[in-house]
Amino acid sequence: MGQPKSAVIRSDLDIVIARTMARDMARALGFSAVDQARIATAVSELARNIYLYAGTGTVTVREVEKLGRKGIEIVCEDQGPGIPDVDLVMQDGYTTSRGMGMGLPGAKRLMDDFVIQSQVGVGTKIVLRKWRN
Amino acid sequence: MESLRIPILKIGDILIASIQVNLHDASAVQFKDDLLEKIHATRAKGVIIDLTALDLVDSFIGRLIADIAAMAGLMGSRVVITGLQPAVAITLVELGLELPRVITALNLEKGLSVLQRLTAESGDGAA
Repeated sequence: MGQPKSAVIRSDLDIVIARTMARDMARALGFSAVDQARIATAVSELARNIYLYAGTGTVTVREVEKLGRKGIEIVCEDQGPGIPDVDLVMQDGYTTSRGMGMGLPGAKRLMDDFVIQSQVGVGTKIVLRKWRN
Repeated sequence: MESLRIPILKIGDILIASIQVNLHDASAVQFKDDLLEKIHATRAKGVIIDLTALDLVDSFIGRLIADIAAMAGLMGSRVVITGLQPAVAITLVELGLELPRVITALNLEKGLSVLQRLTAESGDGAA
C-alpha cells in the first residue's frame, strides 16, 4: 500500500491542495469519476471547516483495506474550539453565521463511513472512508 | 497570493465566462465581483457561466453561483450555467445543493438559445 499523504490547512489555497491530493489518490486507487468527485468534494467541505473554525489543521489521506476490499481513508484533525453539540451540526440545514448548513451532513452523505470526535477546547477529528465497488 | 482572474468575454449583449481552473475561495469571490462590475459596465442582458472544465463544485462555489445568479437578476441580467459534468451534478445533489433557482443548460450552444429566449421574453432582448 502507498504512503499516506498529508496537507496542512492554513489558507483557502490549502483547501484546493487537500482536495486535489485526495482526488489524485482516489484516482490512483481506481475510484470512478463520480466517486473521485464525491471524495474530493467531501474533503473540500471538511478542509474549509478547519480553515473557517479552527484556523489550522491537517488532512491526511491513505489507502485502506478491509476484508479484501480497497478503500480510501481521510482523517481531518484540528486543535480548534471543538463542537459543543455534534448531533446539532450533523442536522441538515443547521448553520452558523459563516457556514451554510451542509458541510458535515453533506460530506457524510458523499462517503461510506463518517466518524466524528470533538471536544470543546481540545479539537475535532473526523475520519471518512469510501470503499471501492 | 494574488487571486486568479477569470476572463469575461463580451459578445453583443451577452457576457461569457468559462471557468477552467481549480478555484480557491478568494478567486471565486473575485470572479463574482468582476462579473457584477462587468454586467454594470457593459449593461449585458445575459451571462453564461460555463463550467464544462470544472471537476468539482463544493458548497462554497455552489452557493457563490446561486448568489451570482440572484445578484445579476437584481441588476436585470439573466444568468445561465452550462456544461455541468455528470459527476459534479451528482455530487451537488447528494451534498444537498440543488440550486433550484439557477437556470442551467447542457452546453454553451443550448445556453445561448436559452438566454436569447429569456431576454426576448423580458421584452428587451430584441436586436
